[in-house]
Amino acid sequence: MAASSSSPVGVDVGGTFTDFVVVTDDGLQVHKQPTTRPQHEAVVRGLDEMAGADDVPVVHGTTTATNALLERRGATTALVTTEGFADVLTIGRQNRPDLYDLQPSRPAPLVPENRRHEVPERLSEEGEVLTPLDEEAVRRVAATITEQEIDSVAVVFLFSYRNSDHEARAAEILRDELPPTVSITRSSTLLPEYREYERTATTVVNAYVRPQVARYLDRLDEALGARSVRVMQSNGGTIGLDTAAEEAARLALSGPAGGVVGALGVARRALDADAPQIMTLDMGGTSADVALCDGAVPRTTEHTIADLPLRLPSTDIHTVGAGGGSIAHVDAGGSLRVGPESAGAEPGPVCYGRGGAEPTVTDAHLVLGRLAPEHVLGGDDTLDMAPEAARNAVGGLGQQIDRSPEETALGILQVANATMERALRRVSVERGHDPRDCTLVPFGGAGPLHAVELAEALGMRRVLVPPAPGVLSALGLLMADVVYDTARAVLTPAETLADDPVPLTAARDAAAADVRSVLNTHGTPDLALEVDLRYEGQSYELSVPLDAPVTEAAVQDAVYAFHERHRDRYGHADPDEPVEVVALRVRGRVAVPPPELPREPETDTPLADARLGTRPVRFDADGATDTPTYDRTALHHGHTFDGPAILHQYDTTIVVPPGWHARIDARQNVRIER
Amino acid sequence: MPDADPILLELYRHRFEGVADEMGGTLQRTSYSPNIKERLDFSCAVFDADGRLVAQAAHIPVHLGAMPASVAAALDAVNRWRPGDIVVLNDPYEGGTHLPDVTMVSPVFVDDGEAPTFFVASRAHHADVGGMTPGSLPLAHELVQEGLVIPPVKLYEDGTPNEALMRLLLRNVRTPAERRGDLAAQRAAHAVGTRRLQELAQENGVEEVAAYARHLQTYSERRVREALADWPAGRYTFEDTLELADDTTATICVTATVDGDGVAFDFEGTDAADDGNLNAVLPITESACYYVVQGLVEGEMPVNAGSLVPVSVTAPEGTLVNADPPHAVAGGNVETSQRIVDTVLGALAPARPERVPAAGQGTMNNLTIGGTRPDGSSFAYYETIAGGMGAGPDGDGLGGVHVHMTNTLNTPVEALEQSYPFRVTTYRLRDGSGGPGSHCGGDGLVREYELLTPVTVTMLSTRRSEGPWGRDGGKRGAPGRNVLVHPDGEEETLPAHFSRRLPEGSRLRVETPGGGGCGTGPQRE
Repeated sequence: MAASSSSPVGVDVGGTFTDFVVVTDDGLQVHKQPTTRPQHEAVVRGLDEMAGADDVPVVHGTTTATNALLERRGATTALVTTEGFADVLTIGRQNRPDLYDLQPSRPAPLVPENRRHEVPERLSEEGEVLTPLDEEAVRRVAATITEQEIDSVAVVFLFSYRNSDHEARAAEILRDELPPTVSITRSSTLLPEYREYERTATTVVNAYVRPQVARYLDRLDEALGARSVRVMQSNGGTIGLDTAAEEAARLALSGPAGGVVGALGVARRALDADAPQIMTLDMGGTSADVALCDGAVPRTTEHTIADLPLRLPSTDIHTVGAGGGSIAHVDAGGSLRVGPESAGAEPGPVCYGRGGAEPTVTDAHLVLGRLAPEHVLGGDDTLDMAPEAARNAVGGLGQQIDRSPEETALGILQVANATMERALRRVSVERGHDPRDCTLVPFGGAGPLHAVELAEALGMRRVLVPPAPGVLSALGLLMADVVYDTARAVLTPAETLADDPVPLTAARDAAAADVRSVLNTHGTPDLALEVDLRYEGQSYELSVPLDAPVTEAAVQDAVYAFHERHRDRYGHADPDEPVEVVALRVRGRVAVPPPELPREPETDTPLADARLGTRPVRFDADGATDTPTYDRTALHHGHTFDGPAILHQYDTTIVVPPGWHARIDARQNVRIER
Repeated sequence: MPDADPILLELYRHRFEGVADEMGGTLQRTSYSPNIKERLDFSCAVFDADGRLVAQAAHIPVHLGAMPASVAAALDAVNRWRPGDIVVLNDPYEGGTHLPDVTMVSPVFVDDGEAPTFFVASRAHHADVGGMTPGSLPLAHELVQEGLVIPPVKLYEDGTPNEALMRLLLRNVRTPAERRGDLAAQRAAHAVGTRRLQELAQENGVEEVAAYARHLQTYSERRVREALADWPAGRYTFEDTLELADDTTATICVTATVDGDGVAFDFEGTDAADDGNLNAVLPITESACYYVVQGLVEGEMPVNAGSLVPVSVTAPEGTLVNADPPHAVAGGNVETSQRIVDTVLGALAPARPERVPAAGQGTMNNLTIGGTRPDGSSFAYYETIAGGMGAGPDGDGLGGVHVHMTNTLNTPVEALEQSYPFRVTTYRLRDGSGGPGSHCGGDGLVREYELLTPVTVTMLSTRRSEGPWGRDGGKRGAPGRNVLVHPDGEEETLPAHFSRRLPEGSRLRVETPGGGGCGTGPQRE
């Protein structure tokens, strides 16, 4: 079942394993390697072991940028900024993270005080020069930076989104004066949008991770020889190595993006809809990521990483501390709590038998019979399961609250589900969506264990479990188009632009030129325009599509769409209020032919062939129910059965509670409905 | 009432907090005032049928004790609640704190019930509610000068707006369209909260939902009592001072009595209410005390009516910390509240020496700039400026951060200059302003404004004559300074409180206090 020579490989680096996925005529070919540092070693080893052609394209999800930030191991970075504003990065928004912490500490800024350099220059809010750039001062700063042996420089001037001349000139001088190995990131090219702290932080993040990411991608490229490589970005699209290296901050939140793209791609095919409404639930060992896709990968520019705002478009994901390894305990007031502390992969849940002593969500599943010792998460066959120890740990917790081990285990799952339910509500209800209209797509090792009960709590009627939930992120890489986003600040009343859209067309032309030049090696991009609008005086924007060509009518249509969206999302709109265009966004997309997930004909094998057996499983306080268990790999298109049922497969376990009905579709998804 | 199930207890904690969170998210996103949207100066909360707090989305500590007072005032004022009613209020002497904080309270009816099962409430800092100066934090001498006073009245009855009242409200503020938008945003938040509570009751039965609201209160009370039981019993007294508008200094005095599993704060000995506006009504003083107790208790726990039960607060009427009508109160909420926290922390330092930090900047540096734009439109801009946090036994204080009773965000310079006729020329840490000690206090900030048109600047600030105290041998942080740079370059130090017309071309430089230092070990600066 070799892949045809042109089928690309999706390679996704996770904390423990690096996953490889190829779509073949027979289905998914999946491979795993223990993750290495540097990450490309596992990538190369895995590709060799898969023995495909040596020019197979690779689509890569890497956590190099993320790890550099989270572990604060990025480059020695300097900041060059407007005189009077060197501390913007430290002051932030002048708030503190925890209201009641009387002795808080905060991580050291990515750029310490002695590497933050001010130069005289100042623009007005219209971009007029109030103080010309002091070029001599820039040269002096360059000399200091050279002495400081800095790897990377961020250049951020106030109002540079209005007029980038000063930043461009300062960068030019620095380029001339600094050693060629020093990389320079300008805020006006990376993020020409207003709000100085967010723009500064994003630019500094880019400067901070850039040398390391560039080095990694360089080595990867060299090691992969003839293979072409694209890299996943936070926005759910892929990009070539050159852009990924220069604008490395675009990779910072790419980890969860592949999974959302994969879930949406699977749902599109399974539900035969271009724009399905789904919620994704990616539950792993320590946390759960949830997202709402209203027919498209949701994007936001309001994400944070390592306590810093990152204003580049990212997949809009909400993370909560509920995972298979989340630890349950009874707190001082007698309430059963679950997480956010996690046993992680080491020592892991009690049942792993690696020294974990505190009961976890995984242990609770085991006590209830939802997991069987021989089918625990992750498919790690090195584990020597300790089901009795798990039961004792859960039972010990139960004694504290006078409950049986089974009741306690049910409680642990209910509490973990409450945390995830709150997250799912937050991403849907708050954004004006009704979860009942959505299909829940669970993945990650633990998502399919919890999904149906969560769907029940939220009034949802359908859960769709993809064929290989444990490697959905790697599959998602293969479904991602080549995408590049950019934006331009506009900050002009919509009324003015509806009379004369020239400022908008000028912004569009400039942004489109950027997008085309980044994407030209991949093809001719389709451009999609959006405008960020708000009522004048508001400080939050909503993005709505803007039709091309950018005419008076197009602007008016966008304003109309804004009122509608404002009403959808916030319950009120005021069509008489003046509207302001804050920014224009341009997204270039070069479509990648999606992998053809093979369809299988309806099976004529009896369901009994997939049957593993029956075991008692608890779904509620009333006691155990004899529940059929199935080998998912032996389930085929057309098999249907009612819950309760448990489906085991290599990388996850699916729970179908009573009252739900399951069916295997042509692409090996399990559709669970009621 | 049967005992709480430990599992349901945790489920309901998530559920009630989720309701408050969703209300807060709605209010933030739909409001108009930058104070609400960008600076997050608001709170949303769920109350039980008796008006006892069940869950509050934690945004602003100064609202902690004040939200329950609002609901109590609304309950007193309304004889019969009907679905769709919304009471609005801002009267500091009847459920409010200071006039810009406008609170809404509305009932939640379940299953065609005769009486409300829950109440939801929201409080938001509106950018202007009339009065002597834009922004409604003037240097006044009596309450009616500070703005429109709204006693608890129904703005919506049976779901129908009281148009006459709405017109009256909007006619008395400087930016009526913005006010209407903010009030609509609060109402939207109430709609979300009401719907979620009704769904919870329909799914689980109203008895269970109501019972777990009470269980959560019992739970929090137990947690706080267990924590307080570890504090050494005793009477601890402390005094601190703050500057008044007439250049005199007033004293706040507290005696904290720790006894068994409760703590009582008595403010006997505090100076009489001020002729200016630095008067705090009792709910503010309560908020400050609750805040300190929350900060000193170990571990995360839900804040609700139960967590407030073991803490009692008394203060002689007519003092700075329990003001009576017709005193002005604008500064009590923002400045006196900070000093109450410092005083209470100072008192409890011997009881919790490992957790109490030195004094932080102890002020919010409230700055209002108002006037007329070149195009003739009027504007009012309000902001608070961060400063140094006090050092603690565990480490240095943070610099350039809001302390204690506020946690609002700054307005980006690039947003501010887009909207208002002034520029920010410097926004920087104030080097060396943190108090020395083996752990140093955090640095204050320097923020300088260049005025492009003639404007009225109103400043309400404290810790200008003496810096925030150090602890355990640490030294004081630098006091703050308000400096006017005249168009000719001459510098003039302005008082802690002023309201002054300034000509175009002037610069105002605010230097905020550094936090106090902590510890007698090797001194650092």
